[in-house]
Amino acid sequence: MNKNPKSSAEKTVVPLRHFETIKIYEDKSDQEIWKSFNLGDETAFNYIYRTYVKDLYRYGWQYSKDGDLVKDCIQNLFIYLRRKRGELSEVANIRAYLYRCIQAEISKNRKNEARFRHAEADYHEGTFAMEVSPETSLIDSESALSRHELLAKSLNQLTPKQRKALLLFYEDGLSYREISALMEFSEVKTARKLIYRAIASLKDLLKPTTNR
Amino acid sequence: MSSKENIKRFEDYEIEEFLSDEFFVQWVKNPDENTTHFWEKWLVANPGKRPLVTEAAAVVRSIRYSPESALSDEDYVELFENIIRAEEGLREEPGNRGEKEGKWYSFFSVRRAAAFFLLGLAAWAIYASWPRSETVQPEVRWITKVNPKGQKTSVRLKDGTLIHLNSKTILAYPEDFSETQREVRLLSGEAFFDVEKESRPFKVLLPSAEVEVLGTDFNVKQNGDRQLSVALVEGSVKVKDTLGNQVMLVPSEMLQIDENGNLNKSNFDVREITGWKDKYLVFKNDDFAAVVQKLENWYGVDIRFEGELPKGWAYSGIYFDESLANTLEGISQTSQIKYSIQEKQVKITGKK
Repeated sequence: MNKNPKSSAEKTVVPLRHFETIKIYEDKSDQEIWKSFNLGDETAFNYIYRTYVKDLYRYGWQYSKDGDLVKDCIQNLFIYLRRKRGELSEVANIRAYLYRCIQAEISKNRKNEARFRHAEADYHEGTFAMEVSPETSLIDSESALSRHELLAKSLNQLTPKQRKALLLFYEDGLSYREISALMEFSEVKTARKLIYRAIASLKDLLKPTTNR
Repeated sequence: MSSKENIKRFEDYEIEEFLSDEFFVQWVKNPDENTTHFWEKWLVANPGKRPLVTEAAAVVRSIRYSPESALSDEDYVELFENIIRAEEGLREEPGNRGEKEGKWYSFFSVRRAAAFFLLGLAAWAIYASWPRSETVQPEVRWITKVNPKGQKTSVRLKDGTLIHLNSKTILAYPEDFSETQREVRLLSGEAFFDVEKESRPFKVLLPSAEVEVLGTDFNVKQNGDRQLSVALVEGSVKVKDTLGNQVMLVPSEMLQIDENGNLNKSNFDVREITGWKDKYLVFKNDDFAAVVQKLENWYGVDIRFEGELPKGWAYSGIYFDESLANTLEGISQTSQIKYSIQEKQVKITGKK
């Protein structure tokens, strides 16, 4: 929509007495949504699919560059979960749970995939390549571009583990607790340390100073 | 953790501490009342820290997965259909459930399935995913129409209702309506409805609202998950959103719902809003981004921009059933742009 004057016309909001609302999952906790899904609510499934499937594909892609394999795994995962409705256990964070499932599904299926030719290291750690989005202007404009590139480069020189943790923390918005569970750390502080150290190693690049 | 302690703690923070603080990242990523209230107050109390906080927030927002590969819209729909379909296959052969555990679904491998489906068109129903109203009978077959970028179609339903579908639109409708009501689902995009007058009510179900009508002409545009606009040409419609708001429209009124759920009623220019179904491409004081989006969707092309445009660049114009080249030529004559077309790629250059 553009800034046509017409959009600022009169405001009409009519409250309603008897209306069956379609449930708004955005305001519900993950736990409640998952429970609804487990009870067979198709709207809940629709919501989960719509919210997570694209991110799930992106996450799976970190473990296999075979797009069809990742798609098959996502499909299998959702078919499996739908089949198990009624007996699924509680889930506190749907994103973290689905990530864990897809990671397991991919490593299970990849064993059968002769077509997979990536280095052994990618197998277990994932690639987790990063970029620094260009539309964000890091403060000092003159050196911004080079800092930008430098930051992107340094980020991609971190270990895959560090990159994974940073992406889960910043892009996926997971908590330290969820990251620890997903990365199979026994203690939450391990995730905290991992991220802190990664960031501290980039500190000079991140500071808003002008004289570089 | 009380707010007092927080305030003290954050005063000594350096950038790496902000960047590894959950409470801070949470505010940047998913601000809620609690975090917003806290951080705004804190910034007022610590104005000297503002550049540091701004920078830390910029870093959080700018770090992303490298966009090497994304699930396409077609795959998005197809995967969904396969998942629902697998379930139905299972229901038909309940005996298979136990013994073939874990294996049977390999029948629905994406690679194999792709060979069986005509991509995009008249695909299988998405109905199972939708909030069921009591009257929907499970045996009704739903048809889903998917228009990619650059393709407009129309469909006539069994009751005589004519629906024009704009590009980038997904509509699901039943093969036959029930005896008591008519329902279709606009999953995304834009459609113009010319509803046949009869006794059964006609409903358009949307992800975040529904539109109920008798006999009438109106336009519905679903932008993203919650943004919606409904423009009424003739007759009368009632729009109900998920929050329980309900708005009646009379002819020439348009209701817009923004992403925050705010409702706004206004008048509209019929040619501008519904012209697309009659092959009119209309620009009305559109900024450059709006022009690019309209062109991309209308002609199914990708547009790349180079150079600069003067501040406040805007374009108005109407094109009837024109080719891409003619439209671009028209735009370039009255505004400061040049263009070149190479198959589905368009380059627009601004000459400031």
